[in-house]
Amino acid sequence: MTNHYNNVYINNKYSLLSSTMYNPIVKENTDKCINDYYMQEKTIELAESKYQETTIKGLLTKSKLLPNDIDILISGDLQNQILSSTLASSKFKIPTLGIYSACASFVEGLIIGSTFINKNDNKKVIVTTSSHNLVSEKQFRFPVEYGAVRKRVNTCTATGSISILLSNIKSNIKVESSTIGFVTQTNHKDANDMGSAMAPACAEVLYKHLIETNRKPDYYDLILTGDLGEYGTKIMKAYFKKKSNYDLKNVIDSGSIFYKEENVYAGASGPACLPLTFFDYILKEKKYKKILLIATGSMHSVISTNLKVPIPAISHAISLEVSY
Amino acid sequence: MNNKEYDELIKKTIVEEDVSKSMLVSFISGGFIGLIGQILTEVFMKMLNCTLSDAYLFTFMTFILIGSILTGLGVFDKILSICKCGLIVPSTGFANTMTSSAMDAKSEGFIKGIGATIFKLTGSIILYGVVFGIIFGFIRSMVL
Repeated sequence: MTNHYNNVYINNKYSLLSSTMYNPIVKENTDKCINDYYMQEKTIELAESKYQETTIKGLLTKSKLLPNDIDILISGDLQNQILSSTLASSKFKIPTLGIYSACASFVEGLIIGSTFINKNDNKKVIVTTSSHNLVSEKQFRFPVEYGAVRKRVNTCTATGSISILLSNIKSNIKVESSTIGFVTQTNHKDANDMGSAMAPACAEVLYKHLIETNRKPDYYDLILTGDLGEYGTKIMKAYFKKKSNYDLKNVIDSGSIFYKEENVYAGASGPACLPLTFFDYILKEKKYKKILLIATGSMHSVISTNLKVPIPAISHAISLEVSY
Repeated sequence: MNNKEYDELIKKTIVEEDVSKSMLVSFISGGFIGLIGQILTEVFMKMLNCTLSDAYLFTFMTFILIGSILTGLGVFDKILSICKCGLIVPSTGFANTMTSSAMDAKSEGFIKGIGATIFKLTGSIILYGVVFGIIFGFIRSMVL
């Protein structure tokens, strides 16, 4: 389903990068950059909620607003039952919607927020997301200190959080349209290689978006995908070519470019990876005007991996118009 | 694109990693650990004046101790990324798996945390080790 918006803008953002491991490209541009997995909390799970709390507080201070001024807070993360989002939002008393679509949570939040604002004027929405490397290691892979030999297709979850403010007050980033994707499932079962699981979802939502808006891929200056990784991007391009006969040339995968250091497996992943790359790297470059963000999420869990269920994947697209 | 075509596309895109180098490294590092184990056994036999099977037990315990301490200090996974499987297959790997599970659950308390999850990954090694020990012990007693 494609929605068009005419008065939705991204007013402000506050980003937090919490680990400088492998030298992320956004290191110099984030609002706050620390290298701390704990942030004076006892456990990593609580630390992730502290990340979200920091960004929400930072965003409110930066845009000179009080928690009462915000109508809805939409937040999501990778923890079981989105624990860190709920813990963080409990500090503010803002009406909250918790969402989960793995690494596509941020764009899902943007779509929900934009739809609210488009229908009701004068609403202010905060969209928050976070990811923590150690938490996702513990949750989806192996214990943190366990010395698993990793493959090239593995990704390394980015650590950080970002909050953005959506409203109908004009700014330089306009939310133009969005497409909600459907869940795809192939035969792919290897949870180490999420790129291959998510590539079809990404290609399908891109195809759907272009058909429903009557556009061609080169309408966009840049198509920024979420965290397909090095191999996932190649597979996505091949899949899209087979489906529509178009060669995608303007695609950048934020996961693949996130780490400056080379050979960090297939790249970065996590819900925070795409928004951090977009706001703190792509926008700072001032090169692209029409940008399509496609966040991809691999919706597997530990149980689905043990049951050997093929990995379901989802993808959402949102089109932004930026003026500099 | 159907599932079969997609599987072929994945296979074509993702180049299989060359494991020969890792195998060679594992062979050398594993052999080195074995050498240390042999030396330790000899030393225990001479110094403690014990039997061979007791000395094996002491060596095994020493490896578990070293593996657990290195895991606790957070350096085991770094050494492992160099030594590869040469460190996983000996009992150091067992110690690493056990200690890392316990460390993860530390914040959840002693009973529901550490106690419940310390054998999360190593439980299968212990269970099937015992089961196959019984089966092979039985076969051995029948044959010999």
